[in-house]
Amino acid sequence: MIIYVTTIAVLLLLAPLLLSFIKSLKMVLLFKRPSSLLQGYRNFSKLMKKETIISQETSSITTYAPFLVLSPLLVTMFFLPPVVHGAFYVSFVDAFTITGLLSLSTFFLMLLGLDSASAFGGMGSSREAFISALVEPAMVLTVFSVSMMAGDLGIGQAGVNLAEHFPKEHMASFLFAGISFFILLIAENGRIPVDNPETHLELTMVHEAMILDLSGVYLAIIETAASVKFVIFASLFVSLFIPLGLQYSAPVAILIFIAKLFGVAVAVALLEVNTAKLRLFKVPNLLGISIVFAFLSLITFYVLGA
Amino acid sequence: MFLFDTLSLIFIALILLGAIPNLFYSFGYLPHIKRKTHYQIHYFAFILSMLGVVVAGNALVFLFFWELMSLTSWQLILTKVEDKETIKAARFYFFMTHFGFVFLLLFFLIATNGNLDSSFADMKNIVASFAYPTLLFFMLVFGFLSKAGAVPFHVWLPYAHPAAPSPVSALMSGVMLKVAIYGFARFLFDVLYPWPLEWGIVVLVIGSISSLVGVLYALSEHDIKALLANHSIENIGIILIGFGMGMIFDSLGFKTLSTFAFIAALFHVFNHMSFKSLLFMGAGSVLHQTHTKNIEKYGGLIKSMPVTALTFLLASISISALPPSNGFLSEWMIFQSMLGSYNIADMSLKLAIPFAVFALAITGGLAIACFVKAYGITFLGLNRSKNAKHAHEVNFLMKSGMILMSLVVISLMLFTPFYIFWFDKTLVSLHHISVYAKMFPHGFWNMHSVAVHGGVVSPLILLASLVGVTLLLLFAYKALHVKTRVHRTWGCGYKTSAKTQYSATGFAGPIRRFFDWLYKSNEHFHKENIGEHETKFSDSNYEVHVKPLFETSLYESSKKLTNRVSYWVYRLAHFEQTRYAAMIFNLMLLVLFSYRIFLHEFSWATFSLEFIVVIISIKVLIIGDKK
Repeated sequence: MIIYVTTIAVLLLLAPLLLSFIKSLKMVLLFKRPSSLLQGYRNFSKLMKKETIISQETSSITTYAPFLVLSPLLVTMFFLPPVVHGAFYVSFVDAFTITGLLSLSTFFLMLLGLDSASAFGGMGSSREAFISALVEPAMVLTVFSVSMMAGDLGIGQAGVNLAEHFPKEHMASFLFAGISFFILLIAENGRIPVDNPETHLELTMVHEAMILDLSGVYLAIIETAASVKFVIFASLFVSLFIPLGLQYSAPVAILIFIAKLFGVAVAVALLEVNTAKLRLFKVPNLLGISIVFAFLSLITFYVLGA
Repeated sequence: MFLFDTLSLIFIALILLGAIPNLFYSFGYLPHIKRKTHYQIHYFAFILSMLGVVVAGNALVFLFFWELMSLTSWQLILTKVEDKETIKAARFYFFMTHFGFVFLLLFFLIATNGNLDSSFADMKNIVASFAYPTLLFFMLVFGFLSKAGAVPFHVWLPYAHPAAPSPVSALMSGVMLKVAIYGFARFLFDVLYPWPLEWGIVVLVIGSISSLVGVLYALSEHDIKALLANHSIENIGIILIGFGMGMIFDSLGFKTLSTFAFIAALFHVFNHMSFKSLLFMGAGSVLHQTHTKNIEKYGGLIKSMPVTALTFLLASISISALPPSNGFLSEWMIFQSMLGSYNIADMSLKLAIPFAVFALAITGGLAIACFVKAYGITFLGLNRSKNAKHAHEVNFLMKSGMILMSLVVISLMLFTPFYIFWFDKTLVSLHHISVYAKMFPHGFWNMHSVAVHGGVVSPLILLASLVGVTLLLLFAYKALHVKTRVHRTWGCGYKTSAKTQYSATGFAGPIRRFFDWLYKSNEHFHKENIGEHETKFSDSNYEVHVKPLFETSLYESSKKLTNRVSYWVYRLAHFEQTRYAAMIFNLMLLVLFSYRIFLHEFSWATFSLEFIVVIISIKVLIIGDKK
């Protein structure tokens, strides 16, 4: 139980750091002077001190939606697979529920975008709706396939099973599912090539457009939600597809887990530096690749058993 | 004569749950209706006839109430008879419902051997000796699913529901479609029981296609009630996916999985009743206040109509299958039952099921997009028209109808194990095995799937933790005493106005563009340019119209074909009496020969001989010499 609580606390604390890490790594790779690793925390504490400006066109949705965006994600944090062998994990939640909770958060985020009557908000919501509609089938199919290899749909149990018995005999389908999930990680967190989190150019904005009218604490909440979402996806990816190093003692295992999270962050940063942002209407192709890999994973598992 | 078994009782409960909140709403709506007596008579007759259908114990009573249900709902669509569109929609509905009725009548005539007052048990015995049960199955599909609104018989829904007064659309979409599902289930279970594998696959395919088609056309719709009607098609599809999975598992011998899938379908029947009724009531309230069905003319209604907005939000979350709502729970169960396809030995079927999973998942994603659009454009932002500006909250009766219905939604969410207990009982009474103990092995907190690697969901804990965390965050926010200031929305230096907001057409734009190969949309773009400038204009107008593919391809083209054939026959006749006589003679020949072919022994030799005889006689007697 102590390990369980510690892990969640560590993940929460780590969330802003990971995104700042990606940003500064990207800057290093682009020969720029990197921003501080603590920038995420600085932004947070500054935003918490600022006053909140609420648009006069908004309704009660803007007052409550930021909390409803963050709370499903915070709840999801409690359902992640264990990072240490034999640690406590929540057994009554399965992967479909997690998918649903993430969609719930996105649902309120999209409503938030439409609430302020600005053209930007609507545009962001519309694009997000388009992307997340196509993410959904890929996500469900990947979950379907992973649950077969892990022998359980329950997300905690699946993580434990995969760590105890690495699916060597199903390496091909495991790999396909991993590729599919990595594409989802990028798409759901709005990273390049799907969305560019750094610019405020209307052609490229998705996530930033929806939250353009937020400020102060509300903005801090939404930014926290974004970083928590990234941590959730990264740790799901790490627990399900790199289930190694859980057998060591608790501090070591947690350190290994954190190292793996940073590994994912490095991968995302390298991908971001090496690709350009896709046009919105090319994004379905990328998500289509993800769907195809998920199907491939299922088919190889069924037909070849590999 | 009447039958009160568990399946009937469950559906009586469904009708009452759907009808009682609707009564309140309907009385609140009454001042809006001109022909009050006409409306009330048909309204109550409609509810009673639906109750009659689900308790009917023999074919004659069933058909009587079924036809009464069709006719009363047809008259209810005609409530606002001064509208030309209404008459057209009602005529279409009348045609479609009787198209189904013909097949039902045929089914009953065959299954009862002409003796229409025989009970369902007798029908089972007669059907057991009938040589072509698949024929009977397809009659059920045509008969009931044309009423339920499954593809390809779904075309009437987006016309009939908007034309009817809102309480009636709520009843028709929420309850009447479910009565059709009841009929389908009743005769499949009681009369046609041992199902071949193929029937389940047919139902599964119909379900998958319906769910996709429904949600895709819902996205392109601007009429709020037509949008909801399209979502009914989608949800009937989801129910049929569950139903089809149940049939497939049953014929393969996976009895527990089969019961589980049927429970999922029944649960979704209840859920769809609750949230779709609520949505239609909300849409009706909005329509009542703004006097327009066009979603582009709404906006900002959450400020003037808070109760409607809140209940609509609850229903939107539920229909989008977001946790911890009841819609999520039933969709979760359907996903779980599909996960059970892991056990199927037949490889081609096993590989086909993921495609149904894909259809259901993309339906879920698009449904979220569609309800963000419906909710966001209707209730959020600025008023998009004068009508929306003058809207205010509806009267007490209508409000209480909506609140009662949202209580039904919430009860389905909170008391899931209770409802599932009764669905389980129903399936046990239909000779399936019980899975309740397997689904809730440790009390009512956790709901387990019966699939091999199945998952667990605990709706109450999810709900409690979501509410708890949100409240904690809210309290923390309150404790911070954050200074707030109200200011204009940032519009890049320009003023934010109703026209600068995103429209519903714009919101669905990316999805519409992606699925354009299906929509084949018809764009109208009009721009008043200033002088010679291409980019400067004083006024512009952009509209997109999507004509449903099934309607253009299946219905319009069959209409064209019929026209062409009848024109050809008409030209042949030339108004000469001898020709008419010749045609009658040929028709008789055809009937005699086909009687011989179908009912007596068949041989290619006689068949080809008769074929040649008929061709020659047509050529010589009817067509004659070409001039």
